[in-house]
Amino acid sequence: MGLLTNLRSSISRAVSSLFSEEEPKRIGIYGPPNAGKTTLANRIARDWTEHGDAVGPESHVPHETRRARRKENVEIERDGKTVTIDVVDTPGVTTKVDYTEFLEHDLEKEDAVRRSREATEGVAEAMHWLREDVDGVVYVLDSTSDPFTQVNTMLIGIIESQDLPVLILANKIDLEDSSVQRIQNAFPQHETIPLSALEGDNMDEVYDKIAEYFG
Amino acid sequence: MPHQCTDCGRQFDDGSKEMLSGCPECGGNKFQFLPASQSADTPPEPPGEGVAGDSDTDRSVARTVGNAATAVKDFVGGSSEPTRERPESAAPGSSTADETSPSSSTREGPSTASSTASTDREIGSGQQSSRQPGQSPTESEPAAATMADTEDEAQASARSEVISPDELPSSTETEPRWPGEKPAAADAGETDDTAESERPDLSELRAELNQQFESIKVLEPGQYELNLMELFDREEYIVALQEDGKYTVQVPEDWKE
Repeated sequence: MGLLTNLRSSISRAVSSLFSEEEPKRIGIYGPPNAGKTTLANRIARDWTEHGDAVGPESHVPHETRRARRKENVEIERDGKTVTIDVVDTPGVTTKVDYTEFLEHDLEKEDAVRRSREATEGVAEAMHWLREDVDGVVYVLDSTSDPFTQVNTMLIGIIESQDLPVLILANKIDLEDSSVQRIQNAFPQHETIPLSALEGDNMDEVYDKIAEYFG
Repeated sequence: MPHQCTDCGRQFDDGSKEMLSGCPECGGNKFQFLPASQSADTPPEPPGEGVAGDSDTDRSVARTVGNAATAVKDFVGGSSEPTRERPESAAPGSSTADETSPSSSTREGPSTASSTASTDREIGSGQQSSRQPGQSPTESEPAAATMADTEDEAQASARSEVISPDELPSSTETEPRWPGEKPAAADAGETDDTAESERPDLSELRAELNQQFESIKVLEPGQYELNLMELFDREEYIVALQEDGKYTVQVPEDWKE
């Protein structure tokens, strides 16, 4: 049943992409909390939209992004061609949300509980978007932390089963204990692009690949 | 050389004790396992990737679903799987098993589930009545299996004396890629085939997940466990959790009971 539904949705996706070549692709930025998804979304928006408005606030506190946010019609120019995408910044996906984690970041209990609840709703929403509403995925990982997690394996597995194009980004290469190799080892079936969304390092290659994968 | 440090790439012989206290080169404590048949000429790769260039997409989907399936099984059956080499991911898995083991053993139907409703509510329990209680293959596994990550044959036999071999899901369902899940079978090539042929399909995976818990489990206000596969699979999705455990869902227009 689920397989049939998946098949149906991927067929309809394929059909719609056949007939609406001009529609911007909707690219979901996925990944675990605090990987730098919003920082990347903001970087893309700053680099390629007229006003450069931020997609959302960035924060060291996990689950700052608790609703999927979209930036439409981002036009990326590569080699004289323009690739138009809609960028969807999603909440960090996790299997466990615990308000006590936020207490360490000086949040009051009431705020922490609310943040936790909203984050949980956000994950549900992000998973739902993945099922129906994205045409491709930019999967952002913090290259200073271990990529061998259940969440990463499961999400990449789901993305693969949907036949969605996926680009894996090893973020935070400006930090000392970053290891891009570790991410390449974790997902050897996909291309891994190193970058620092915060510092803007290697963004040219990121845009090249976005244009190549999703253009 | 079946074991490889994921940080520096150093390789170790099957059953090597060198890596027990971390990689001597870089101190890394994550290793991946390469079956002997693969390590000679191919890079490490998960089973889902072997058909990347294959035009048979059905097969590709099945394998990638299997890939996800194994991951999900690891997650929900965390207590039975080796945890030492994946501390971060094992943490939620272990506690999930702690939560689900006692409740699923008593979960004969909705009525018993409601007895713990104050702290253990489940959202989207509509499928609960279809659960088959007591079928989870993982909940009876002892925690002793957690040391299996570097098992050699002696360790494997020691482990299989505690649990009978057919109770060991890890011997048939795991991906050789994970270091901790090296099956007891000595022949690594054969292991690969077995893992592939017996990987569960999506319906089996779903059935097993339904035995564990539904989309979102409210441990207490502010503490939630999420079943990503179920969240992904559901047509309706949760749009608002409330403090008392109630929730609002949005359903598609053509949604039918």
